[in-house]
Amino acid sequence: MDILGSFALLLAFLAAVYAVLAGIAGIITRRTLLTKSARNAGMAVFVLVTIAVGCLEYFFFTNDFSIVYVVEHSNRALPGFYKFAALWAGQEGSLLFWSWLLSIYAFLVLFLNRKRHPELMPYVGVVLAGIQTFFLTLNNFVATPFRVLAGPDGTGVMHLAKMSEGHGLTPLLQYPEMVIHPPMLYLGYTGFSVPFAFALAALLGRYPGEKWIHITRRWTMIAWCFQSVGILLGAHWAYAMLGWGGYWAWDPVENASLLPWITGTAFLHSVMMQEKRGMMKIWNVWLVFTTFMLCILGTMLTRSGVVSSVHAFAQSSIGSWFVGFLIITFVVCFAAYWKNRDYLRSDNQLDSLVSRESSFLFNNLILLAACFAVLWGTLFPVLSEWVKGSKISVGAPFFNKVNVPIALFLLLLTGVGPLLAWRKTSFDALKRNFAWPFAGGLLAGVIGFIWSFRDIYSLLCLILGVFVTLTIASEFFRGAHVISARDGTNIFTSMGELTMRNTRRYGGYVIHFGMVLIFIGIAGTPFNKDLQKEMGVGESLRIGPYTILCQNFDHLDNANYESDRATLEVFKNGRSDMMLFPERRLFKASQVTETMVAIQSSPLRDLYVVYAGQSPESGRPVIHAYLLPLIKWIWFGGIVVVLGTGLALLPNRRTVLVLRPATERSWADTLAESAPAIGAVARRVEGHD
Amino acid sequence: MTKFPNSRTTERAPHQSLCPQSRFSVSSVLRFSLRAVTLATILAISAAQPAKAQDTPRGKALGKRVLCRCGGCEDSAGLCNHPGGTFSGPCETARGMQKDLDAHVTRGESDDQILQAMVEQYGPTVLVEPPKKGFDLLAWIMPIAVPLIALVLVWEVVRRWRHNATLAPAGGPQVSAEFLARARQEANREPGLEHDE
Repeated sequence: MDILGSFALLLAFLAAVYAVLAGIAGIITRRTLLTKSARNAGMAVFVLVTIAVGCLEYFFFTNDFSIVYVVEHSNRALPGFYKFAALWAGQEGSLLFWSWLLSIYAFLVLFLNRKRHPELMPYVGVVLAGIQTFFLTLNNFVATPFRVLAGPDGTGVMHLAKMSEGHGLTPLLQYPEMVIHPPMLYLGYTGFSVPFAFALAALLGRYPGEKWIHITRRWTMIAWCFQSVGILLGAHWAYAMLGWGGYWAWDPVENASLLPWITGTAFLHSVMMQEKRGMMKIWNVWLVFTTFMLCILGTMLTRSGVVSSVHAFAQSSIGSWFVGFLIITFVVCFAAYWKNRDYLRSDNQLDSLVSRESSFLFNNLILLAACFAVLWGTLFPVLSEWVKGSKISVGAPFFNKVNVPIALFLLLLTGVGPLLAWRKTSFDALKRNFAWPFAGGLLAGVIGFIWSFRDIYSLLCLILGVFVTLTIASEFFRGAHVISARDGTNIFTSMGELTMRNTRRYGGYVIHFGMVLIFIGIAGTPFNKDLQKEMGVGESLRIGPYTILCQNFDHLDNANYESDRATLEVFKNGRSDMMLFPERRLFKASQVTETMVAIQSSPLRDLYVVYAGQSPESGRPVIHAYLLPLIKWIWFGGIVVVLGTGLALLPNRRTVLVLRPATERSWADTLAESAPAIGAVARRVEGHD
Repeated sequence: MTKFPNSRTTERAPHQSLCPQSRFSVSSVLRFSLRAVTLATILAISAAQPAKAQDTPRGKALGKRVLCRCGGCEDSAGLCNHPGGTFSGPCETARGMQKDLDAHVTRGESDDQILQAMVEQYGPTVLVEPPKKGFDLLAWIMPIAVPLIALVLVWEVVRRWRHNATLAPAGGPQVSAEFLARARQEANREPGLEHDE
């Protein structure tokens, strides 16, 4: 089996190399047969990598402890659910997993477009196969997952005492979210390869128009959505598993996942400038290049043993492979751009500073400022060491201080931007659109202040959050009102109709609303409380409105772990409210102890209780209770973001559009540039998906 | 960075300089921005104070500004919380550091003096944030300076694009009044289709 896996991986590598070479040859010689053969090789990579992944999973499920990777990341008693997840628990498996996800994307892209875009697809195939080749090089020659344990020694006995049972999966990863979180994040990381491949392909092939943006719009949104879900699941895992009452620590790996998400968000916004106005072509291409390179950087920071500290930067051998790949990617991108930069010349015009266009410019400015601040803080210790020769620390408070004002400004733009018209917005329209939402925001601020929401940033966040929500609501109501007046339907039916007519726009609003919820959830942070107390049976502690009474301590045992458990009764305002069971689990295979937090979650606040173990001084059990306001809004906001993305991915309901294609854009725009507009509209209808 | 008058108003401003007489000079624009950020932070801290004043002694606040040196955690001494392990709470090192901090506080030293003492004892990595002097000041300046430079660039771009717009005024064939009226009517009738596809 290990031979089959290794062989499949080697064949996949050869197929990928062939796809690159034959693809380039096909493009140069213009021979369809070569191009087709390159495409088929690209799709074959998927089958071959899938076989390799299947083999590795087979070893996990049959407890074949002759494979080093299986010994290190599994054990016999590990539940099947986690055996599956053990695939990405270590370096070799993660990189194989990356390869596999990329091959899935590449297969889908090549297969779905096999009869379309004959000029563009060969280039796309070459770029995707190029990325695939890099990862398969790592899989085959640098970090192979199929390494077999050293064979029998002179006496014929296998050494390594633990081999028959395996070391077990890191207990920290034995949590349901850990099964979903890495795949989501990796689907995000790998997914950005698709818009990258199309952008580079369009540039290399001088493919006309904004078509690559239309083709990749859905792919980008899907990758972005996976990335968002991955980040939030990671935050939730850190919250529910680590037992420190927080969800985001600004550590290098978390930052690494945030960076491509930020530039990806900027890209999703700025492409609209190119689609609608033909502006910012160079910018968009570089934004998607940057996003991809940040994905590779993120994978590198996560996967090169840099996990705990950035200071190990240059010491890991796999890191240098990634650095090499990053340099090659940059050189290729820059060369392609330099050679074909005239093709990106765009007709940039700005009619007014108060317009949708300029709001997008500021959106991109702010997002990139946030991206830079995070990247700078993450890499500054390395820089400082280079320059001064001494390390320094850049901790969470730094990132909070720098990023909170930036994030609040972004929230403001979320409210203002979508309501500005393309080209020009009059002062009257501004007043009409913003007066009520702004008044509503201020009112919420006053109420919040009275209701002890007294932290300047949190208060600002609340005001802006309500402001944005009201602008979104007013957009829905205004549109729905016109439809209901005309069709006589009720306002909610009209709202559905409105949304389905332009899913991208209204789905976007739903995503914005989800982001507002997340921001509100984060704004609760300054009001966190916590209390740590030694507690015997019958003792109690008070936190906020809750009194926690210790009822019992007991001991549980199963094949995978032993557990010490506290039984706590929680009283609220004198009445028994709930029971909580925080645990400490000792995992047998790895002999590592982990806490299992008990969380009672409500929209207003979470009661979060950790059984910290026996105090090293007195030997008595210690309970650590946290009161964390508004946390639940973050997870709920995440769900709204996913729903909004799903909505934006749906095709528009087009009945009206067929009859009156010209109404697709504002009549004022059409009038302003009648003759060219016909062409523009025609182009857009054609590229409309 | 010189001390600003407004940073004296509160003892606990985390932005307070560790080195009152620094040789490092910054341009007035950057100084202004730093001042704005400092002011905002002080506002934030002082606004947060009423809620926390009773249960947060100075020592605990200082504990959050130095890193635990046990080597096994990435937390500050005040928040050290080894998840897993034999005890999920502040480790011996963190408790020791916290005791030291409290001792310094009872001796009546200022925050700056105390943090300086910690740096002398444990080296510069003990500080959670980069110090605001010398080369490390760059850590703070760049996240403000780069967006400001970018803003200037965006402004320049906007100016050029507006220039383009005046050079090539939107024109095209003449439109009849009747067509205009119909267009207005249509535009009012089709919500959801005004801006986007």
